[in-house]
Amino acid sequence: MNKTHTSQQTVLHAQNVRKSFGTRGNVQEVLKGIDLRVNEGEFVGIMGPSGAGKTTLLNVLATIDRATDGAILIGGDDISKMKDAGLSAFRRDKLGFIFQDYNLLDTLTAKENILLPISLGKVKKKEAEARFNDIATILGITDIAHKYPHEISGGQKQRTSAARALINEPSMVFADEPTGALDSKSASSLLGTMADVNKKRGVTIMMVTHDAVASSYASRVVFLKDGQIYSELYRGDKTRQAFFQDILKVQGVLGGDSVDTI
Amino acid sequence: MTLFDLVIRSMRKNIKHYYLYFFALIFSVVLYFVFATLQYDSAVVERAGQSMKFSSAFKVAGGLLIFIAGIFIVYANAIFLKRRSREIGLYQLIGLNKGAVARLLIIENSLLSAGALLIGIGIGILVSRVFLLLLMKLVDYEGFIALSFSTAAILQTVVVFVAIILLTTIQMIYTVYRNTLLSLFNADKKGENPKKPKTFVSAVLALLGIGLIVFGYWLSANMMNTMLFFNMIAVLVSTILGTYLIFRVTISWMFYQIRSRKQGHLGLKNSLSIGSLMHRMKGNANSLTIITVLSAMTLAMLAGSYSLYYSTEKESRYSMPHDFMFESDEGLAAQFGEELIENGIDFTSEKIELLSVWGTFEKDVFPEWDGPMDGTYGFSIVSDQQLEKAGFQVEAPKKGKAVMHDMNYAMSMNNMKLPFDVNVTSGESDRQFRITELGSGNVVNFVSVGFQLVVNDVYFEELKEQLPLESEGNMVLDVYAVNLLDRDQLEAASKIFSQSKYIDNAEGENYAYSTDYYSMYENGILTNGLLIFIAGFLGLVFLISTGSILYFKQMTEAEQEKQNYATLRQLGFTVKDIMRGIIRKQMFVFGLPLAIGLLHSVFAIKAASFLFMSDITIPTTIAMGLYALIYIVFAFLTVGYYRKTVKAAL
Ligand SMILES: Nc1ncnc2c1ncn2[C@@H]1O[C@H](COP(=O)(O)OP(=O)(O)OP(=O)(O)O)[C@@H](O)[C@H]1O
Ligand SMILES: [Mg+2]
Repeated sequence: MNKTHTSQQTVLHAQNVRKSFGTRGNVQEVLKGIDLRVNEGEFVGIMGPSGAGKTTLLNVLATIDRATDGAILIGGDDISKMKDAGLSAFRRDKLGFIFQDYNLLDTLTAKENILLPISLGKVKKKEAEARFNDIATILGITDIAHKYPHEISGGQKQRTSAARALINEPSMVFADEPTGALDSKSASSLLGTMADVNKKRGVTIMMVTHDAVASSYASRVVFLKDGQIYSELYRGDKTRQAFFQDILKVQGVLGGDSVDTI
Repeated sequence: MTLFDLVIRSMRKNIKHYYLYFFALIFSVVLYFVFATLQYDSAVVERAGQSMKFSSAFKVAGGLLIFIAGIFIVYANAIFLKRRSREIGLYQLIGLNKGAVARLLIIENSLLSAGALLIGIGIGILVSRVFLLLLMKLVDYEGFIALSFSTAAILQTVVVFVAIILLTTIQMIYTVYRNTLLSLFNADKKGENPKKPKTFVSAVLALLGIGLIVFGYWLSANMMNTMLFFNMIAVLVSTILGTYLIFRVTISWMFYQIRSRKQGHLGLKNSLSIGSLMHRMKGNANSLTIITVLSAMTLAMLAGSYSLYYSTEKESRYSMPHDFMFESDEGLAAQFGEELIENGIDFTSEKIELLSVWGTFEKDVFPEWDGPMDGTYGFSIVSDQQLEKAGFQVEAPKKGKAVMHDMNYAMSMNNMKLPFDVNVTSGESDRQFRITELGSGNVVNFVSVGFQLVVNDVYFEELKEQLPLESEGNMVLDVYAVNLLDRDQLEAASKIFSQSKYIDNAEGENYAYSTDYYSMYENGILTNGLLIFIAGFLGLVFLISTGSILYFKQMTEAEQEKQNYATLRQLGFTVKDIMRGIIRKQMFVFGLPLAIGLLHSVFAIKAASFLFMSDITIPTTIAMGLYALIYIVFAFLTVGYYRKTVKAAL
């Protein structure tokens, strides 16, 4: 099943991850034993119908939420055994996040927002400035650096959010429907940049999305259904267009919400 | 579903929002009720029967209390309405018309207010006894204190609060009718983004703010001249305006400078403090100014009245260094002595001779504000040894020199340059006294003895010989100083002294020395005890109102920024990291008004210190420390609320 990436190093390894919500009498198992291995430099899309458990999986893998059972290794560290303070530090140093509704602090300018993850002073100012300039140029937001969130467009906000996810040079970036609130032009521009960053900087990305177009930018798409992995698609050497068609087919079988085949 | 069901349902769901407003209401009711009860209490009325001051002070304070309570409740209601504006909008969205929504709010408000009034009066009945005991202790009342249940107080409280509640009802109706749906939905999102200040204008205004305050302080220390009243107004206006500019411009300008210098590298702590503060600076400037000015006023009022109370004994002593004093009439003094012996009271009785003469001051030795002191004034020359025998310690200088004592010019005497000369003009012989020292207070009990010059005993005898004491209104005046050996018997002795034969002359008019030290002290304790009670009561109300308003405002801000805390925690910041930034912000929100308020009040007290002859550093420090302590409790409560919010954010 795994054809091309065996030789590469594993960044994230989820083993039999389970997650339940609710109290004793009323337990709902949302993740029912997920095994997933993500290699360094991969761009993984996660798709599936609404309620399949995509956001839950992402949160658990991104250490924002705790799994009920199973082990999660990121870069060799078993995060399910870490304490809260350790997890926070881990998130700050090793992970990046892009949220559907941007989650920018409205009290701060774009640049201040972007520099937040490295604001506890471990990175020298000069180095931070260099990283900022670098990322802002790639994402095309140098002009809006000193504007406040309410002064910029949705696409710009999401690119600011992406820049913030990258500033700490994370070993992995998690994105939950980053294009959900964007029009198709801004969406493809953001996705293009993400794919670019993934390729050029080797940043591993895991992105949850509903949108087949969005996931066609990924190098692999994992399909989730009822809390289990239903199937996986690798892009390989296919064009994005061809990959998109493949994704649509699986989505059709899965009964996703964009294409209904039956 | 009837409107009433809707009311009950919404009240149950909103209990979290309500309790804030409910608390404000109850708190105001309790304090007002306690005050009204005291006003009607028989013990208070009895103690107050002696003076009009009591009842008029209570009236003024009661008026002030209504004023503060009114503002506090209206303010709390405004915050409360803002927090609920989305809900108010939602009701309209689901099809209730404005009239129905208004009715819903009015029913809610009536239920809530009736509840608060009931609970408030209940608590008030319980705590008013504590306050009564405190008041009676402060004014030295020793009778039996039974708190009577006062229907008049209840009635008065109900009337006052029904009026205030009507005011909040109008406020609610106004909110419903004035606002569009959109503004209702966005009310809790309002914030501003700091614009780049017009550098030049801002810099000028920012400096002007500081300048105005410095000028106010300077003027307050130098306002003792013929334009005193005008100066006081100028001090008030310039410090208040300066304070406003500090909050409105200076702080924003400074924050802007700091922030732009950081070039985006703000750091987490500053992001959570400066960032958040600048976001709402405009809205906060007004309330911070009001809170600062109120704090300054309260602090000055508290420190001043506590100083008065604290130094009552000392100040009375300055006026009346001897327990009792008789003029000329040796027989009367002896009679008093006998009566004291009959009552088992030990005392000393000493004759003190006053050489009562006329004299003039050297030119311009008095400060400007006294006007030209170039007339002829009465002086009394006293021997240091005679004073010492009577129990008053004073070291007199050598021949030709004297220590000058006086009560009425105490303030001026702090500003006189030593030494200076006094000329005693008597007939042909002019005699100069060199004043080398100024003493505080009188050396004999006050009343028409003029400036008192204490001289060395040898010199005194010489003067008694040489001065033409039989002419031009000059004379030797004998006074008899009676001092008790046991302070605890003062009260009994004072009662004996208050008989008509000691204090009235044949025509039934008061003698010159118609009062004694203890009566004066008692009177001072009554007045100042009442003053400190009322000041303390009002101060407490001010303090809790301002503290609560800051707390309420910060609560609202915490809720508005909840999403930010969630984001920060997702980005990997711990609760501890975030709290550090929030504490920095609270240090500003609570600390700055307190610091500026304290500074203002220190200068105010300094300017008013001429009212005292004694040093008031200790009582002032105690009063201010106590105020700051209670105030800081609110800061801790606020930080606690933030911690809860940040913890729950993720
Ligand atoms: N905190 C929670 N408590 C209880 N149940 C939850 C919680 N979070 C998610 N769930 C449940 O878990 C299931 C999966 O939710 P999840 O948000 O992961 O779905 P999703 O695949 O992201 O859906 P969507 O595409 O709509 O975002 C849903 O049935 C949801 O009701
Ligand atoms: Mg989701």
